[in-house]
Amino acid sequence: MIRHGIVMISLIAVTAVGCATGSGSMKMGSGDIVADRQRLMKLNGASWADAQAKFKAGNIEGIAVNAETMALNSEHIPMLFPEGSLTEKSKAKPEIWQKRPEFESAAKNMGQWAARLRDTARTKDAAATEAIMKDYGRQACGTCHTPFRVPPPQQPQPPRS
Amino acid sequence: MRLALVLAMTLLFAPRPVAAQPQPSPAEVARGRYIFGATGGCGCHTVPKQAANAGGRRYDGPFGTVYSTNITPDRQTGIGGWTDEQIVTAIRLGRRPNGERLVPVHPFTVFNGMAAEDLKALVAFLRTVTPVNRANQPKRITVPLFESVFLPAWLAAFAPRETPPAAAPTAGTARGEYLVRAVGHCGECHTPRTMTQATDNSRFLAGNAKGPEDSEVPNITPDPQTGLTWSEDEIAEYLATGNKPDGDVAGGLMGEVIEGTLAGYRDLTKADRIAIARYLKSIPAVRNKIGK
Repeated sequence: MIRHGIVMISLIAVTAVGCATGSGSMKMGSGDIVADRQRLMKLNGASWADAQAKFKAGNIEGIAVNAETMALNSEHIPMLFPEGSLTEKSKAKPEIWQKRPEFESAAKNMGQWAARLRDTARTKDAAATEAIMKDYGRQACGTCHTPFRVPPPQQPQPPRS
Repeated sequence: MRLALVLAMTLLFAPRPVAAQPQPSPAEVARGRYIFGATGGCGCHTVPKQAANAGGRRYDGPFGTVYSTNITPDRQTGIGGWTDEQIVTAIRLGRRPNGERLVPVHPFTVFNGMAAEDLKALVAFLRTVTPVNRANQPKRITVPLFESVFLPAWLAAFAPRETPPAAAPTAGTARGEYLVRAVGHCGECHTPRTMTQATDNSRFLAGNAKGPEDSEVPNITPDPQTGLTWSEDEIAEYLATGNKPDGDVAGGLMGEVIEGTLAGYRDLTKADRIAIARYLKSIPAVRNKIGK
């Protein structure tokens, strides 16, 4: 009962603060759309690298949270590429705006692959998860990177021992 | 007497049927498919998302514009009417059956290093692909005397030519070298070019700041500061999946050759991918920073 009361008070407080500070339009991101989408892509990359590390460690169920991150991110991708946001530091190709339906379809495709990976990982079925992961990079990410991103040159890395 | 003469003349000048070529074995076709994948799926001959090998992909160069050709076995517009020898000659020597020289956007100077048995198998596989009736688009050469004077002179003076081995190496670093240099033609994109546009093989695979389609192509020599520092397993994994160690995934032309068309780098066996990785680790490190 006390717990419910705390939750209710918190919700009311959050709503009240939101109303008091809101200016009528919701501002999302840092205001630098290219930096925002590059952050999101880095997060995707880190999620995918973490998913692969978890697979090697046998933590199949743990992959689900990475896949959910990527599924959620995929929904934000189209809005992070508005018309006129191709700047010097962007690695986007003009084809994103020339072939918009294809680009949006590629983002949706990524979301579907990520959702499938998430749902399969939750079953803890290592073989089924591996079957998806084998193709995930090429099919979920590569199908968008290949037509719509200028490939980055190899990043210098510290020498390994 | 007269009848005998007519008969003799008829036999002498009658059009001779093309000698029936022995049917390749399924194993040879499978080997050809594997080699096809090891070239990256001959992707230059496929417009993305269109029929495999039907040509029509555009390439702009300092000499003008060329379009890749239809290499499906269609008799009218493809290579269906060519003999095996004619196809092999085009692949490794850059000559059409009519003697016309191919512009070296098709990397025949590199494919010249492919073993005869692999070329034979590749041709056998190409003949099994679904024929597509699609006329080739004519090239538009803007440099006067390019094909008659400049191209032959350039080929003679500057173009490095790979040497075919007696037999395809089957294992070890030699296998990796063969796959990288000749079949996979990695140097075409990853090796910087001289002022003459020939590959600068003194800096083999050291990256190209002005690669195909204006891309920056990475240095994949083992230079610790500017080259490829991934482990052998990471390189092998990348060639199969496109996954980089940092979570990024291949795109651009590299993404295309990994994915391939009817086959790609991803279809290479793990032994071959490791052989490639070992060879890449064995070549001279060249310091050449690509990108900012």
